[in-house]
Amino acid sequence: MTAALFERGLAFLGALLVGGTALVQLKNDWGSHGLDAAVTKVLLGLMAFGCVLALLAAINVLGGGS
Amino acid sequence: MAIAGLADHDAVAARYKSVDPVYEQTRDMRLLGFVFFLLSDVVLFSMFIFAYLYLRSSVPNWPPITASGHRLPRFDTAFAAWNSIVLFGSGVTMHFAMENWKHLNREKFNFWLVSTIGLGIAFLLGQAYEYHNAAISWAGSTMGASFFTLTGMHGFHVFLGVLYLVVLLVQANRGVYTPSKYFGLTAGTLYWHFVDVIWVALFYLFYLM
Repeated sequence: MTAALFERGLAFLGALLVGGTALVQLKNDWGSHGLDAAVTKVLLGLMAFGCVLALLAAINVLGGGS
Repeated sequence: MAIAGLADHDAVAARYKSVDPVYEQTRDMRLLGFVFFLLSDVVLFSMFIFAYLYLRSSVPNWPPITASGHRLPRFDTAFAAWNSIVLFGSGVTMHFAMENWKHLNREKFNFWLVSTIGLGIAFLLGQAYEYHNAAISWAGSTMGASFFTLTGMHGFHVFLGVLYLVVLLVQANRGVYTPSKYFGLTAGTLYWHFVDVIWVALFYLFYLM
């Protein structure tokens, strides 16, 4: 197993775990009100989107690196 | 002894339940001010990002071809994806820390906040490793200059964020914040989510685009 494959595997599992957790937290916070809650929801959503990007990079759909 | 203990408990409970009217009235204004600070940081990063996109669009090939005729290598996507997950994971642990603070669970708050600090440091170490092993340097190409400027600026934000979280950890354990008065923790959480989200953009621009 190459280092790159190992890193991709870790990134794949991590993206599933972190992205899934971020989405669950977003769902739990969905009904909360206030400026801080609104900003937190936006940022959690964008973070979940980042996890999707990392997931796609891990399986070589995005990015053409090693 | 028991009566003294009860008195202490009542004093703590009363302090936790007490609402500072000035804090209540100014909290939203402070929050708005902090959101404007974050927006000013968005402007700062946007300027550098648009400069990078302009430089990138001004050459026919990307990664660019050097004067000596060889094409610069792409960045290591696999390592960056893993390091990104470390940073995104720290956003989730920070969220857990804040939730546990709101639910009066001090031990779990400490655990998740220390985890966040640890993951932030791990991200910075990962970035230092990447810089050390990068096939390109700051000088000599627009690609290298853009990469080190933007990721370095983001790394500096993460470094400041780690220091900020350490201060919050100390303050929280010294009783500076209560369950009804914790603006510093809210600001710290928003700042940490913010550096996560900025990294989403940088990760896409430098490694995936």
